[in-house]
Amino acid sequence: MSSLKHLIQNENMKIYRRPRTWLMIGFLVLALALMSGLMKWDEIRYGDDNWKQNMTQQTERLQKDLVDNKDTNPEYTNYLVDEIKLNEYYLANDINPHEQSLWDYVNNSAMLILLITILTVIVAADMIAAEFSWGTIKLLLVGPASRTKIMLSKYIATMGFALLLLIISFVVAFIAGAILQGFSGVSVPELSIGADGLIHESSKFITSLQKYGYSIVSLLMYVTMAFMISAAFRSSTMAIAFSLLFMLVGNSLTAIFSSYEWVKYLLFANIDLTQYLDGATPIRPDMTLGFSVMILAAYYLLFQLVSWILFTRRDVAA
Amino acid sequence: MQEAVLQLRNVTKVIGGRKIVDDLSFDVPAGEVFGFLGPNGAGKTTTIRMIVGLISMSKGEVFVKGISVRKQFEQAMTHIGAIVENPEMYKFLTGYQNLVHFARRHSGVSKQRIDEVVKLLGLQNRIHEKVKRYSLGMRQRLGVAQAILHKPSVLILDEPTNGLDPAGIRELRDYLSKLTKEDGIAVIVSSHLLSEMELMCDRVAIIQGGKLINVRSLQDGHDSMQSKVVIDVSNLPSAYQLLTDSFKDIEVSIIGNQLELKTDKARIPDITRVLVKADFDIYGIFASQQSLEEQFLEMTGGEMVV
Repeated sequence: MSSLKHLIQNENMKIYRRPRTWLMIGFLVLALALMSGLMKWDEIRYGDDNWKQNMTQQTERLQKDLVDNKDTNPEYTNYLVDEIKLNEYYLANDINPHEQSLWDYVNNSAMLILLITILTVIVAADMIAAEFSWGTIKLLLVGPASRTKIMLSKYIATMGFALLLLIISFVVAFIAGAILQGFSGVSVPELSIGADGLIHESSKFITSLQKYGYSIVSLLMYVTMAFMISAAFRSSTMAIAFSLLFMLVGNSLTAIFSSYEWVKYLLFANIDLTQYLDGATPIRPDMTLGFSVMILAAYYLLFQLVSWILFTRRDVAA
Repeated sequence: MQEAVLQLRNVTKVIGGRKIVDDLSFDVPAGEVFGFLGPNGAGKTTTIRMIVGLISMSKGEVFVKGISVRKQFEQAMTHIGAIVENPEMYKFLTGYQNLVHFARRHSGVSKQRIDEVVKLLGLQNRIHEKVKRYSLGMRQRLGVAQAILHKPSVLILDEPTNGLDPAGIRELRDYLSKLTKEDGIAVIVSSHLLSEMELMCDRVAIIQGGKLINVRSLQDGHDSMQSKVVIDVSNLPSAYQLLTDSFKDIEVSIIGNQLELKTDKARIPDITRVLVKADFDIYGIFASQQSLEEQFLEMTGGEMVV
């Protein structure tokens, strides 16, 4: 009988022995380098030596704004009050918020998780479908490993690939930040104003991890969806096409239909959990974090169940 | 008869209300090459895929060394090695990496065993090349290597000679006889190439329309199988008369200027004695075994699609 460990080793071998995989990793590193370069260039272009003076001016403008809009919009005045508080804090503690620290590089690299999702979707789409198109599925299944085990090993290997890309992204962005900005910014805190109206200092490392964490939710969902389509249609092309289509049109679709109540049951409406963070508004007012997590879990289980049934129950005839 | 390592019991496959395979039952003992013969679409491939679990059975059971493929798939599969149609390998991997891939699935296939199999199949010179650069014959050998790595008790080959040149077919045949004779493996081969089957198999099962029509032995065919005896004799009409009178159970006919008798080899001495006693001149007696192809065509009603 095959041990799961050996099966995962096999799947990994099939992922990493393909030149295509290394091309993808190279592409990701290139994108990270490009992003870091652009950030640095931007900073040099707009960098100002007299930021304190600028910030003082900006604070004065904000205060004027605050006086003008005193009774109109409570939300806006709140925002102004917070901004002014932050600016004063920056000035008092001699922190230039526009100076990039290496954590900003890591933070921005979280935007590239979309790219990581696409790359992992491509790998996931091939996991089952390619075995069919290569004709290797027959030899793969005629062995002392149940189909459930084979599918599990394939899914774990796919997730391993996603994890590898995430680590590469985090580390490369960190290194790029360290090279371009030095290590001086490692311990600079992230400032924010909480619900209590006070200034909080938090670790930028934790903020970066959080940002990654939220993006990973959509990665997990889309990759699992691609895996399911790969198992269902046994076609890589279809798996890639559908997953990317949903990724691209999902958001606009939810936006268009956001006035209908059923929108909240769509995968796309729940996939972005940052809508529940402070200062953000959910797509529909009746949605809560708990609700979204439940909907996501339901979709995830559905995807897994469909993949499993279609992969383990169907005959391999062709 | 030795213990059966592969047993099929009432194996049936129904797709869309049509019986693709209908109530197949047979046993294959260890050390036998068992051929699976039938016209295209007779259900050979479906049956083989049911044995290895690629296709589910609608009814019936397959036992490998007494283990049910349906109920204990993983355990049963440890005793099976298979090549289903052309062995497709991972082309971006080397031959060796492919073997490692298949070896990992089984517990206890050592590196030495891989090297041993590589040597057995004469692949050692090119085993570290990518499979995409292999010829079909090489891939077939790699396929056999993959199938015997874990020393299975049953080897299943579905249309193994498809696309192979005569040298490749011969090579394959040699490995098979080596494996069965030396390691006592039972081999199940399906093919529609009759001449090949005749050379390879000890027994053949002929199926048509999903039904088992006949299982017959090819090795001891001299005794059990009907063969033809052709006699070149003088005075044909009276010889014909004499033989039809003397042997009521034998069908005699005149073909050209020879007599043809449908009978076993064992009867030849008797027939000769009768002819000699009656003073006929005999120029020659030939016993010709009915070829598998003729039998096959006879049994399947000439419905051959090769």
